[in-house]
Amino acid sequence: MRKRFAIGAMALAGAMTIAQAGFAQDSKGTVYYLVPTLLDEFQTGSITALEMFLGQVGYDMETLNADNKTDLQQTQMNDVIALHPDAIILAAVDFNALAPGVEAARDAGIPVVIFDRQIDSVVSDFTSVAGTVEIGHTAAGVVQDLLTARNGSVTGKVLQILGDPGDPYTLDIQQGFEEVMADFPDVTIITEPAMQWEASNAGTIAANAIVSDPDIDIIFSHAAHLSVAVVAALEAAGKQPGDIDVMSSNGAPVGLDLIRQGWMQAEVEQPLYAQAAAVAMFMDKVVNHEEIADGEYDVLGLPSVVTHEAWGATIKIPGAAITADNVDNPSFWGNLQPPEEPVTSVE
Amino acid sequence: MSPGQRRTLEFVLDNLVWFILVIVLAIFSAFVPNYFQPQIFINIIEQSTVLGVMSIGLAIVIIAGHMDLSVESVAALSAMVTGILFASAGIGQDLPLSPAWLKVPVSIIAGLAVGGLIGWLNGILVVKVKLDAFIVTLAAFIWVRGTVVALSGGRSAQSLAPEIRWFAIQRVFGLPLSAYIAILCFVVFSVMMMKTRFGRHLKLIGGNETAAFRAGIKVNRVLVTAFIMSGMIAALAGWLLAIRTSGATANLGIGMLFQAFAAVVIGGVSLKGGIGGVPGVYAGVLLLSSINTAINLLHLPAEYTQVIQGLLVLAAVLLDTMKHSIRKRLA
Repeated sequence: MRKRFAIGAMALAGAMTIAQAGFAQDSKGTVYYLVPTLLDEFQTGSITALEMFLGQVGYDMETLNADNKTDLQQTQMNDVIALHPDAIILAAVDFNALAPGVEAARDAGIPVVIFDRQIDSVVSDFTSVAGTVEIGHTAAGVVQDLLTARNGSVTGKVLQILGDPGDPYTLDIQQGFEEVMADFPDVTIITEPAMQWEASNAGTIAANAIVSDPDIDIIFSHAAHLSVAVVAALEAAGKQPGDIDVMSSNGAPVGLDLIRQGWMQAEVEQPLYAQAAAVAMFMDKVVNHEEIADGEYDVLGLPSVVTHEAWGATIKIPGAAITADNVDNPSFWGNLQPPEEPVTSVE
Repeated sequence: MSPGQRRTLEFVLDNLVWFILVIVLAIFSAFVPNYFQPQIFINIIEQSTVLGVMSIGLAIVIIAGHMDLSVESVAALSAMVTGILFASAGIGQDLPLSPAWLKVPVSIIAGLAVGGLIGWLNGILVVKVKLDAFIVTLAAFIWVRGTVVALSGGRSAQSLAPEIRWFAIQRVFGLPLSAYIAILCFVVFSVMMMKTRFGRHLKLIGGNETAAFRAGIKVNRVLVTAFIMSGMIAALAGWLLAIRTSGATANLGIGMLFQAFAAVVIGGVSLKGGIGGVPGVYAGVLLLSSINTAINLLHLPAEYTQVIQGLLVLAAVLLDTMKHSIRKRLA
């Protein structure tokens, strides 16, 4: 019995060794992904998506979580540079604080891909973003539509709930949103931040706002999980779905659920799958330091444009507005149905 | 000073935070637009629910002369356990129970068990292994939050079962039932601290642990019980947090520890132990919520909340020092 067990164990170990050797042969190399936090569904989803798409084009991925701490991410960047990976994918906690790290990595010959959170103060090898400012622009378009539907014209009152005021991500969305809405002087925008992106803070803000400003038409939160607490506060205050329009930006699964329940009217999607797929599609060119040509590319069916900016080649993938009409579209990452067709490298 | 004046002065010193609360509410009502209306005061009480309950456990351990930094993370874990078991969206498993109202006691018991276990572990490490409470509970603050992230995979559990959400929606005299749960907790633990032997022992241990031991008090047992109570109360706060937000996210409750500390200190609990009471803590929580509400209504940038809270804690510590020197003169 013991002998049979030993033979079985040896066979299993041998099979694993052969499988690992085969896997190592298939792998084109290792890419490190520096993720800003795990306390956010978009970020945890980005790990899964990047790992899957990079695997499809032959790369292994390791992930380091910075826990929303800039200094920790700087340390991680330094550590990863010492490991000489084939590339580093960076979703920065602080957009500009990581610029020296990006420069150091490139000086060491390691290409750096900027993911989701654009850094324009330093040159990188490739940037894949929906554009946080552009998300604000899209949200402004949705708000115009909702106000027109409610009031007959773009007039009314909007409560904008930011994330943590120390996070450039939310400030960029605010900038994009407000610069478009500045053209509509009949819209009053009240802005309050939910400290540390904590949901109950958003609920508290909403509960107070509907008392102090009962004529609020729309509550726009910068993340779906904040809208969940907003809806809970509205429900607790005796409101019905549609009494106040609710919308948010990032397209997380919980946001899509609220649209299905009728509590939320719209989400501005960050095209997570397409952003991650674009990184994988161009990874060969990035790793081999090849030129990335400007032009239009099809990324998971989304027409996306590569341009050369001051900070390097950049692909911008438009975020879509999600409403009750299209909420079940499987291409939205919030539906958690990754595309079945594998991506291929751009030749 | 006449005995009457002396009694009046002592009464004011004992209840200083309540007087400050009344003055602050009067000032805000007079000067902050839309502040003076019943629904705003209801909101203040409702918003104090979670922080208030969490602060009770923290206050008990501090009065006993120790520290519990794990309360915020324990609350988050309890909320996540509730969310995973009984939410229907995200990572919620929507555990079916028949009859459905059983979800209420089961979710509470699950949360309290988690909180009690962590509190017991903290207590054993502090009392039996003789580790510093600050370090032990700081470690728990980190590992318990890590457990929340690991358990959820960074995802959230939403759409909590209606039977549980009922406590946040159903209102009596305008207040949700969850607020009554918090008020009940304050009453029960105030009575416990003032009228029971256990409460008196906690204060004695916090004032002078060695003297309490020599007086025959079972110091170790009382302290471990205090940590278990703190964990269980934090877990109840987490349950209330989950029903307030209809589920749980991985970062739920983040930042509440420092607000709880602020409330406890403002409420007159000495960080040196042995001094303070639960009613004052409730006043401290109400004061913080009142200020937060005023800042919301004034549409001030949120940074001001932190600045004001920080200055308030500083003022509370200075007032506490002043109270001590006045009491010494009275003695």
